[in-house]
Amino acid sequence: MVDNQAGGKRHVDAIVIGAGPAGLCGAIAIAESIGDGTKVLVVDEGIEPGGQLPKQTHKFFGHEGFYASVRGFEIGKRLVDKARELGINFLMQTTLAGIYEDSIVAYDRNSNSVSEYTADYILIATGASERFLLFKNNTLPGVYGAGAVQTLMNQYKVMPGKSFLIIGAGNIGLIVAYQLLQAGAKVKAIVEATSKIGGYMVHANKIMRLGIPILLNHTIISALGEDRVEGAIIAQVDGKFKPIPGTEKEIAVDTICLAVGLQPSVELVAQTGAEIKYISELGGYVPVRDENMKTTVNNVYVAGDLSGIEEASTAMIEGYIAGYNIAQKITGKDMSEKITNMKNELVEFRKGPFAAKVREGLKKMGISFPGGGYREEIQQMPSSLSRLKAVIECPQAIPCNPCETSCPTGAINTGGNINGVPQVDYEKCTGCGICVTKCPGLAIFLVQQREEHSIVGIPYEFLPVPEKGSSVKLLDKNGKYVADGQIDRVMINRKEKTHIAFLKVPKGMEGVVRHFEMSTVSEESQAYICRCEEVSRNDVEKLIDSGITDYEEIRRVLRIGMGPCGGKTCRSVVLQIISEKTGVPISESRLGAFRPPVIPLPIDAIVRYAKGVGTDE
Amino acid sequence: MGRLVEHPILDVKSSTSKTHVVFYFEGQPICALPSDTIASALIANGIDIFGFTEHNHARGFFCAIGKCSSCLVEVDGIPNVRSCITPVRDGINVRRQEGRGKPKW
Amino acid sequence: MSEVKGAYNVCIIGGGITGTALAYSLCNLGETSVAVFEKSYLSSGSTGRCGGGIRQQWSTKNNVRLAMRSVELFEHFKEDVGTDIEYYQGGYLMLSYDEEEAKQFEKNVEIQREEGLDVEILTPKQVSERYPYINTEDLVLATFCQKDGHANPHKAVIGYAQAARRMGARIYTHTEVLGIDVQNGKVVGVDTNQGYFKCDAVVNASGPWSKQVSQLVGVDLPTESYRHQIFVTEPLENFFPMMAISFAGNFYMRQAQHGQFIMGQGDKDEKPGINYNVTFKFEKELTVKMVKLFPFLRNLRIMRHWSGMYNMSPDAQPIIGQSNIVNNYFYAVGYSGHGFMVAPAVTEALAELIVLGKTTHTDISYLNVDRFANAEVEKEKNVV
Ligand SMILES: Cc1cc2nc3c(=O)[nH]c(=O)nc-3n(C[C@H](O)[C@H](O)[C@H](O)COP(=O)(O)OP(=O)(O)OC[C@H]3O[C@@H](n4cnc5c(N)ncnc54)[C@H](O)[C@@H]3O)c2cc1C
Ligand SMILES: Cc1cc2nc3c(=O)[nH]c(=O)nc-3n(C[C@H](O)[C@H](O)[C@H](O)COP(=O)(O)OP(=O)(O)OC[C@H]3O[C@@H](n4cnc5c(N)ncnc54)[C@H](O)[C@@H]3O)c2cc1C
Ligand code: SF4
Ligand code: SF4
Ligand code: FES
Repeated sequence: MVDNQAGGKRHVDAIVIGAGPAGLCGAIAIAESIGDGTKVLVVDEGIEPGGQLPKQTHKFFGHEGFYASVRGFEIGKRLVDKARELGINFLMQTTLAGIYEDSIVAYDRNSNSVSEYTADYILIATGASERFLLFKNNTLPGVYGAGAVQTLMNQYKVMPGKSFLIIGAGNIGLIVAYQLLQAGAKVKAIVEATSKIGGYMVHANKIMRLGIPILLNHTIISALGEDRVEGAIIAQVDGKFKPIPGTEKEIAVDTICLAVGLQPSVELVAQTGAEIKYISELGGYVPVRDENMKTTVNNVYVAGDLSGIEEASTAMIEGYIAGYNIAQKITGKDMSEKITNMKNELVEFRKGPFAAKVREGLKKMGISFPGGGYREEIQQMPSSLSRLKAVIECPQAIPCNPCETSCPTGAINTGGNINGVPQVDYEKCTGCGICVTKCPGLAIFLVQQREEHSIVGIPYEFLPVPEKGSSVKLLDKNGKYVADGQIDRVMINRKEKTHIAFLKVPKGMEGVVRHFEMSTVSEESQAYICRCEEVSRNDVEKLIDSGITDYEEIRRVLRIGMGPCGGKTCRSVVLQIISEKTGVPISESRLGAFRPPVIPLPIDAIVRYAKGVGTDE
Repeated sequence: MGRLVEHPILDVKSSTSKTHVVFYFEGQPICALPSDTIASALIANGIDIFGFTEHNHARGFFCAIGKCSSCLVEVDGIPNVRSCITPVRDGINVRRQEGRGKPKW
Repeated sequence: MSEVKGAYNVCIIGGGITGTALAYSLCNLGETSVAVFEKSYLSSGSTGRCGGGIRQQWSTKNNVRLAMRSVELFEHFKEDVGTDIEYYQGGYLMLSYDEEEAKQFEKNVEIQREEGLDVEILTPKQVSERYPYINTEDLVLATFCQKDGHANPHKAVIGYAQAARRMGARIYTHTEVLGIDVQNGKVVGVDTNQGYFKCDAVVNASGPWSKQVSQLVGVDLPTESYRHQIFVTEPLENFFPMMAISFAGNFYMRQAQHGQFIMGQGDKDEKPGINYNVTFKFEKELTVKMVKLFPFLRNLRIMRHWSGMYNMSPDAQPIIGQSNIVNNYFYAVGYSGHGFMVAPAVTEALAELIVLGKTTHTDISYLNVDRFANAEVEKEKNVV
């Protein structure tokens, strides 16, 4: 362990900021290559290492080399175990508070102490933070970020509410909805302002078949309630995202969960002096970096969501690339083979349509990735299936292939590229159901036509697990009741926790029934932009109208971002308003300053450290 | 609101843990788990209003990871404590913060 | 030379407190053909980074007068300029921890009282009775002037800029002056990254860049810029009305209207040159010192830490006036860390000099750069 000697700076070969998939893989790559994990220090402010991973109870996409089909928290555990085996040091619940001219300063909130470091190389993998949304009463207790809901529910195992409205139908909104349902909460609806579901169809299907409406072209107007949320008003929006009068609807919920996107956490990279650029396709302000993940500062590398909002799989690969490059410099050994392998992985992952934005964004940094070259045709369900067979409903080209790699008979293929739409070879499929339990999209069903009725096997991850023989209501892919049915049997999978419930369904409904229900159980201008100082959208707009259009000027007049949060929630919102009002794209507006510390540093911790009297407890 | 006592995927044994930490919120004893933060313990006990702003608007948590400063409370008279990242400790006195914190000297 | 984009009687280089207040003062005198060029955003220089303190307790008669005139103008800022700049006369408490300095303080107070300033001398016991949250151990004496205070510098800049705009001045932000066109010993125009502007007079109000800008005219100014760091804590309820400052103790601190404590200190080891980085050493040194003197700070957290530049002159007093080498070149620079507080009076006088050819409210002739030609310069002692 790194002993926290009070008063003195500690030196490490490499400091890794952020223990998400990117940081962990970066640290592992460095430690493996230099053969000494103790020279690598990983700092993370979370309660456990893993970044987003420990909050995720679903299985991840990707391929098996990068833990596809493993649940997020389990991936986190495996990476952390590997890092620990290599002797890598972790400083948890510790915020890297600032990269100062003379020092790297960490604040450990458990012992309420600060410590100073120097490092030859810095790998910054601080991930992303959530975007905020403007609507009336958006600061009422009961309006929570999706990440907050996940943290509370999946890490602390505490439910922040009973019935939820979710704002945003990207992957995060869809997944949070699914996780809430698994935890026994009600989800009244997901509202989405655009005209299409941004997340993967397979994620959307998982919740649609449970009957959760996804309201496209809708937005939230206001949270209702005096001292906490008691409901919400939603409305339809027009092509310009303006609410259409007369379409307002009230929904009674106790919690509103915002899942409106992520933005890279660039504060620390900015403090190193590395160049930052606005590239909307990558999620906003991102560090400029080369294909080896090196920023414009020679010993500062980045990886993961910080360098562009993407996926855990690509975060891991970028972490490896950054790590091997750092190791190459530390050891002087040639690591080009490993680096090239990882770069090739990235090329494969980024070929698909969902990576189009990332490809566009990277092009603006002068890094090009090819698109295309994957299969898009969707296989039709065969008209006659007298034996149990897999039916795949995974209609989009997404970077995922556990279905292919898990099938013992090689019956599934994605057509050569990981993004290809999977197809089943019905000659080979034995109906064993392994792919059903492996598929992270829960998009594979088992179907058999029998004499008197048909059988549909459905992946099932809820409680309670239904009893054999119990009667159920059969639901279609939109969660609509279509007929009554019966549980034929349940294939329990204790390890993976994805069970298969086999339903008896009326003949001819094997292509329709996709879930079941157990019969027995059953005003925008007042929006606050800045939570700390209670500044409203109106205040900002008035100022812009008076001719003050520079973010830094607005910030100082209205004190936006000067509250205790340091602008983490409001900066992007203000930039958005400036851009709307002035017509100048955000990419051309000027990025404000990022001043340390990134978390308020207790004065008494600094004093104790400076005097060398150690920690609190 | 409250703790998860069963879950199809997660291990929720800790929710029924016998070891407890007791602290006070507005004078009332609150039973928490050793792994709780002040915020998670309060939410688990059905309390989600953590304070009021200068303009008397109710506030609770928002980000749960120490970034937004929505969840400020007073702990043993010291204001501006982020309840979402501050571990519970036996016997601490937590109060709702109203407006800006009061100095202590 | 780039395309001619406009012509103004007066071109001001710098959109800090000096540049914007001067634009306002010129318009007030009827001179509305004024342009301000700011290479970044308004108050991006020292002004937006400064402590916002406004005091009249100086060690020389001239400086006391200049400061008193400024305070008069600050007192009427809201009516005259039309913006609330959070101006608050909570007083300046000058703390002395050094016998010799204490004696000097007593002498200064005499000068200040002669100028009609109401200043108290307080014993350590009086200080601790009045301010129970200050540790008075090692304190020798303190002086206090209730009429001193502080304001929000950024709001002052924006206030002046908006008022000047209303009266007809043009303010060009993100416009950098790259060259100054001097012909036959006279400025005829300025060249910027947004084009060329003709002018009859140019004013150097470029703060940290005063030397470089002056070189564009071919005139040397004896200024150097040094980094000064400053940080702000999380807010508390307001209970600390005054600016507390000490020269021997090397610090200043105040509580802003929004409750945060803003504090800074000087660093003798600083090298000249523009540097906006911050050091952790500064946080360590300042917190250790301040917690001892103000124990309540122990429970606060540092929220933001930044740095700005002091544009220093050899005698730590501003350099203001008209060049006798290039006749229509004026300067208001080298404030040595107290340019915000004197800006209203300085720019009023400078505007008078430009428009009327002479000053009518405050004498600033003693601040002309020519003073450095004489061997003897009287150094202002009251600076952090
Ligand atoms: C709901 C949801 C579902 C997802 N599902 C999938 C999926 O199925 N498949 C997939 O491939 N991807 C998925 N992702 C995306 C994936 O989780 C992210 O792309 C990935 O976690 C990014 O990794 P990272 O290491 O860059 O950042 P993160 O995992 O966000 O880690 C960043 C870490 O940095 C730490 N940190 C930040 N600032 C500091 C600081 N100043 N000091 C100390 N520590 C700091 C944070 O505490 C955090 O632990 C999902 C994401 C979400 C939110
Ligand atoms: C930490 C700190 C604390 C301070 N505390 C106090 C205090 O409490 N009280 C007090 O009175 N003073 C204080 N000061 C000093 C005060 O900030 C300055 O003296 C004052 O702000 C100077 O104002 P200015 O307008 O002359 O210069 P600035 O505010 O620096 O403005 C100069 C402007 O010129 C622009 N510029 C420069 N070159 C060019 C060019 N070529 N083209 C276009 N634009 C250009 C710059 O971008 C800049 O915005 C402090 C200073 C610092 C750094
Ligand atoms: S059911 Fe079994 S055999 Fe058929 S595709 Fe799936 S894994 Fe392969
Ligand atoms: S069907 Fe295959 S490609 Fe589609 S989500 Fe499932 S495992 Fe991934
Ligand atoms: S909830 Fe955001 S800081 Fe605590």
